[in-house]
Amino acid sequence: MGSGRFDSPGENQRVFELKLAGKMSHDSHSTHHVNYLAIFFVLCGCTALSVVFDVLSMSKPVTMVLVLAVACAKALCVMMFFMHLKFEGNWKYVLLAPTTILAIGLPIALFPDIGSSYYTNAAPQVGVWADEVAEYEKQHAAELAAPAVEE
Amino acid sequence: MGIPIPNSKLGMWLFLGTEIMFFTAFIGSYIVLRLGSNGWPTRYEDTHINVLLGGINTFVLIVSSYCVVVAHEAMAQKSFTKARMYLTVTLLLAVLFLGIKGIEYKGKIDHDILPGRIPETSSQAVVKVADQLKQLVLERFSVYTTSGVIENVVPENLTAMAPLVQALPTAARPEDLTDAEFEVYKASAGDDYALFEKWDNLQKHIVANVSLDYPALPVEYMASRAKLEDGAKPPELSLDEVKKYLGDIKKDGPHAALVSARVFDPHPIVYGNIFASSYFIMTGFHAIHVIVGMILFLAVLKQGSALNEKWTDFVENSGLYWHFVDLVWIFLFPMLYII
Repeated sequence: MGSGRFDSPGENQRVFELKLAGKMSHDSHSTHHVNYLAIFFVLCGCTALSVVFDVLSMSKPVTMVLVLAVACAKALCVMMFFMHLKFEGNWKYVLLAPTTILAIGLPIALFPDIGSSYYTNAAPQVGVWADEVAEYEKQHAAELAAPAVEE
Repeated sequence: MGIPIPNSKLGMWLFLGTEIMFFTAFIGSYIVLRLGSNGWPTRYEDTHINVLLGGINTFVLIVSSYCVVVAHEAMAQKSFTKARMYLTVTLLLAVLFLGIKGIEYKGKIDHDILPGRIPETSSQAVVKVADQLKQLVLERFSVYTTSGVIENVVPENLTAMAPLVQALPTAARPEDLTDAEFEVYKASAGDDYALFEKWDNLQKHIVANVSLDYPALPVEYMASRAKLEDGAKPPELSLDEVKKYLGDIKKDGPHAALVSARVFDPHPIVYGNIFASSYFIMTGFHAIHVIVGMILFLAVLKQGSALNEKWTDFVENSGLYWHFVDLVWIFLFPMLYII
């Protein structure tokens, strides 16, 4: 049993539904006259381009930007044409925007802790560690010798 | 009101939403780790990453994605035979993808490029040589315990085993062995004991962390240290001398061929373990997704000539899933193989 508002949709709700469905509400099994073969060749060309960027001796950051740009272009081709998102209604934004925001959130959350700090690959050896402890104690001798202040 | 698509398609898109977050967690963490590391293994000798095989696999997945979309189109046009044909090609391409991935994995396993097994420093590389030599010694010693030549001792108890192996050439023949069989064991005992000595010598120098030219046995070690001036330290064990030590064993030492095949030259790879972890977790989960996709296509192909329009939604949703698998690889290929 509803409250009335949703049982008898008003003008606003119909407008919302139409907006959500988008101008081209997608019939699941309609054909869109997409030249899939052309998309396939574009994807192959992009893959070859990635390998060419690898072979060319460019600086690492430039290669990284170029190769990831090509990957994004390929991903867009697959999503728009093979996955038909180009022809889907506006529901695709409702469904995918929160996911994308959450997905981007993790790397952003990790970055200050890991990405911007150098982490050492080597576990400290016992001898080195002992030297470091001795050095620390030497530098902080005064603080270590002072009696602990009780709160 | 509701979203104007079939429930099954909505379900698949919601599932793909969770999949996006799942893979972004791995890919995002990989990017963050890589940016945060003061270096990364990229040389082929360190990673055994084969750009050509990765490129071929990318091509294979693109072709398979094309086949799936054509299969879905054929289903919509009720050309079920054509749809089955394209889905069969997709399935075969998935098998090819996994085969190539298997070749890549084998290359890494053969070279011990596995998480937690890659030495990142000189000292770790030296310890790995000793560990691999010890493994060979254990294998050789276990020959005597499993055959009954030496009884009541486990091979892992090397200090107990070694004197028994050394004494084997002069030992009495066990009753259940023929003379000929016993002769074979006696003949190999000398090399096995010599290999044990090589490992034992290296291990003692690792524990004492002194050069191989310096005595490592407690009594001799203490006597040599006593001769040093106050504050002076004995020379430490270096990677170069261990390389030479191992090289000499491989050249004309005991079981030279076996050691050459099974003990890797010490080769520290900085950040090798985090690389291997990232590589295997990302490509491994991707491979699992490929297998799931194959199961979906098999479910359709199992219908055979009975395939009909009722399966159109299923093929569309399987296709969406497969394109997503392709999409993930589109990002994995440049990040793992090129950058």
